[in-house]
Amino acid sequence: MANCRQNLTRPPVTGSGDPNTLHIYTWANYSDDGLIAAFTERTGIRVVVDIFDSNEIMQTKMRAGGGAAYSILYPSDYVVSEMVGDGLLSAIDHSRLVGLENLKKQWQNPTYDPGNAHSVPFNWGTTGLLYNRDVTPGSPEDWIFLWDNQDALSRRITLLDDMRETLGVALKVLGYSYNTTDPAQIEAAYGKLRELQPHIAAFKTTGFENEILAGDLSISMAYSSDAIALTLEDERLDYVIPASGTSLWTDTLAIPTSAPNVDAAYQWINFLLEPEVAKAAVERLLFATANQAAFDLLPDEIRNNDQLYPPDEVLDRSEGIQSIDTASNDLFDRFWTEITSA
Amino acid sequence: MAQTVYSTTPAPATEGSVDVELRGVVKHFDDEPAVQGLDLRIYQGEFFSILGPSGCGKTTTLRLIAGFETPTEGEVLIQGVNMGRIPAHRRPVNTVFQSYALFDHMTVRDNIAFGLKIKRLPANQVRERVLDALRLVRMEGFADRMPNQLSGGQKQRVALARALVNRPAVMLLDEPLGALDLKLRKQMQVELSTLHRQLGITFILVTHDQEEALSLSDRIAVMNAGRIDQIGTPSDIYDRPTTPFVADFIGDTNLLHGHLEGSDGTVLRVVTPSGLKVLVQQHPEIPPEPHPVVVSVRPEKIRLSADFPTADNCYHGQISHVMYLGTHIHCGVRLSSGETLTVLLANRGQALPDLDTPMYAYWAAEDVRLLSAELPLPVSAGNP
Amino acid sequence: MAESPLPSSPAPDWGSHLAQTLAPQRWLGPVAMLGPSGLWLFLLLVIPTLLILEISLVPGLRLGQPAGGYGLGNYLQILEPVYLRVMGRSLAFALGSTLLCLGLGFPVAYWLALMSPKPWRNLLVVAFILPLWTSSLLRAYAWTTILRPSGVLNTLFGVLGLPSQTWLNTPTAVLIGLAYSFLPYMVLILYASLEKLDTRLLEAAADLGANPQQRFWKITVPQTLPGIAAGCLLVFIAALGDFVVPTLLGGASSMNISRLIYNQFLGPTRAWGFGSALSMVLILAVSLAIALLLKYGDRSTVTETSQ
Repeated sequence: MANCRQNLTRPPVTGSGDPNTLHIYTWANYSDDGLIAAFTERTGIRVVVDIFDSNEIMQTKMRAGGGAAYSILYPSDYVVSEMVGDGLLSAIDHSRLVGLENLKKQWQNPTYDPGNAHSVPFNWGTTGLLYNRDVTPGSPEDWIFLWDNQDALSRRITLLDDMRETLGVALKVLGYSYNTTDPAQIEAAYGKLRELQPHIAAFKTTGFENEILAGDLSISMAYSSDAIALTLEDERLDYVIPASGTSLWTDTLAIPTSAPNVDAAYQWINFLLEPEVAKAAVERLLFATANQAAFDLLPDEIRNNDQLYPPDEVLDRSEGIQSIDTASNDLFDRFWTEITSA
Repeated sequence: MAQTVYSTTPAPATEGSVDVELRGVVKHFDDEPAVQGLDLRIYQGEFFSILGPSGCGKTTTLRLIAGFETPTEGEVLIQGVNMGRIPAHRRPVNTVFQSYALFDHMTVRDNIAFGLKIKRLPANQVRERVLDALRLVRMEGFADRMPNQLSGGQKQRVALARALVNRPAVMLLDEPLGALDLKLRKQMQVELSTLHRQLGITFILVTHDQEEALSLSDRIAVMNAGRIDQIGTPSDIYDRPTTPFVADFIGDTNLLHGHLEGSDGTVLRVVTPSGLKVLVQQHPEIPPEPHPVVVSVRPEKIRLSADFPTADNCYHGQISHVMYLGTHIHCGVRLSSGETLTVLLANRGQALPDLDTPMYAYWAAEDVRLLSAELPLPVSAGNP
Repeated sequence: MAESPLPSSPAPDWGSHLAQTLAPQRWLGPVAMLGPSGLWLFLLLVIPTLLILEISLVPGLRLGQPAGGYGLGNYLQILEPVYLRVMGRSLAFALGSTLLCLGLGFPVAYWLALMSPKPWRNLLVVAFILPLWTSSLLRAYAWTTILRPSGVLNTLFGVLGLPSQTWLNTPTAVLIGLAYSFLPYMVLILYASLEKLDTRLLEAAADLGANPQQRFWKITVPQTLPGIAAGCLLVFIAALGDFVVPTLLGGASSMNISRLIYNQFLGPTRAWGFGSALSMVLILAVSLAIALLLKYGDRSTVTETSQ
């Protein structure tokens, strides 16, 4: 019994598997049959895809040893730091990679993983406001729009069910950093969000789509990947990246320490780093690639899509959500619980 | 058809106001007739039994009176009031159920007090009357028990007390002793009889136990296939049955089917298909013209003799079986003509007859009942 | 009995060997009978619960961080107003949906058990259980399309000339969703209880002068009380731990205990110690409810055997 606490902090043992099969654990919409078929044709390696819908689920599964089959994971930025700290990710041998230099300059040395030592950036995006023109008074340009129009928008707003993102919006509105650890600032952000709370219909990361299409919701805070897909579905919907800046997120490719098939993992990463492969995937799946060479190959209408690829001045005002210390995390969690049970 | 019943039943002794009356009551369940045309009057203070085999409609009759069933046709009157629109809970009757139907979530006391509390009697009156009722059924010490802590007989007493405590005009008892063992049943029969005398209210008892009906009742209605075959005092029913069914159902009897051939002055002559001639006392109700009949001879009316006796009816046969019953000896006599008669001899210390001993079986013409063979018989109202 | 009581026993003839050497002893039968289920209970219930208990006793225990000493800190944390409010809301949701299920379920079960046409009865009961065969997520999601501002219910209200109502993302929606989710359980249990109701007792009560209302409250309800208690406790337990309905229908202020636990285990704080303490409280509440259930269950078997 006394062992169980040690188990929580002990990395799972390395597995060994079939060299001709690659198990990857990824988000929905990051790969499709075309991509996998091309890889299998090229390498003869069969790819088995499992989907997760939150970093924490993926992280807990890996921690608990339930992910021993996977040789490729798609952790988000701050999760990479955490998983490296937990000893869950292998260092990437850059000598085995081809085309790493093709990455956009912002991702050559990201703060969450200096020098891309344990991860390779794959896809990135923003968090912004998805709104239905028919039922929104005016067009939002920044986060403060929600506060300024809270009566008109009352109970027609959803925010992400994500404490760092959503409390981060309040921090941003107050002019603080998403990654602040100053208790006074965090409490001030709680107070700011508390003002808006009575007018918020729900905190939802998914499940707002039908409601916003039907006009039951005016504005939903959403990840760019989800929002852009919806704007293509219905022209009444639009996505804005708030002018004062937002959170930038990156999903990466990483190799777990327990990976049974490291060779295939490197082949997968190299495959996705190839500009032509990445370009074709982006055209089909419409995500923002971190690969400059692939970006350059894209047609203009995709490259000039401000929603997908916001201008540099917006990027400069934005920041990635970083892993913070336990005490600050707890403070966020407590205020988040307060907000969601007000 | 009424004339085919030889109405020999004298008017019942009880005269007085009518407590319960059924007029042409018919009850069908999903087009299956359960009760077919009952006419019945039960008098105030009477102990009245409805006797019959299972499925004869006797319980349905009781449930029609209680109000648990609505008649398909006809009407039920209690104390002169038509019950047509009056539901069970507003009828001045109380029922003792075969299953007792005690409320197992209440104590004995609360079970008995149930009816009184529903009537919103003051608490002290409720308390007193419950105690009286408990005393009446000798269950004073059991007031705070739960029903499932009681024996069958005790439950029966509680069920009785629960009904009696409401002082109903009419008590309905649906096979109340059916679930008790023989000895307890005898004891409870005595108690029922005593209670009836003490309370002076009308009891209507449904039973399939002829002995119970005979020993307790002022009058008995014998039911058969949804109809009443005969209504009368216990001795009417036993000694002067009007139908072969009643004769056969009440006690033991020997039934001989035959044809009435004619009258010899004071006696009638009946001949069976096997050629047996039976002489029956002439009776004003019996039409003398030839028609099919059934002859009923009670086993205890038949005597046996090794020598040829002098009797109206005398037949030769052999002893086919002998059973020693203590107070009686039960014999079978196979007649030369083929029939077997059951004979019941009082035990007077005589030697048991041996099997196959030749014997004469004989009886007097006045010991025979002559019944109409045409069945089923409609009831010619059993009222005075 | 010659079969191995342990399905995973390493030696194939272990069971028969044991049976030969110990067969005369009285305890072998019960042990062999209870062994597999006992082992199952031990492995899948006792050990995990003890693990949760142990984790809950380490204040501030987090995934991926060295553990401190034992203490009651996690439990003391639950007593903070914000968490008490979450508990209170969970209780209110559970109690409210239980009462709603009872109020809606009793008439239905009564009709099914005592009034519906007999040849149709089984079919009708199946029709009532049918919704249970679909995913609870789908059922809850279906309610969003009914309850949302432009949903079915408000459209109906519009047709009837009634003002549009805010249903979705309110506690009312959670109560509706929970009641709908667990109504079939309530109906099923009440149906089983009412079907066993001795209708002769109702006749006896009528015979003693009780009108239909009095018969219902003095006979039907007390007689089916074990079923009512069982149905209520089952719905209460299920509603207390429900995750899907409050999440989908509850709106911005619907944090309940199961979501709070989820946040501790799968949220960014990874406060497994606190999460385990919350879990222990939930386990305790549910165990208490089950203990009550068993107590009433015993009473019903007593009355059954006495009949």
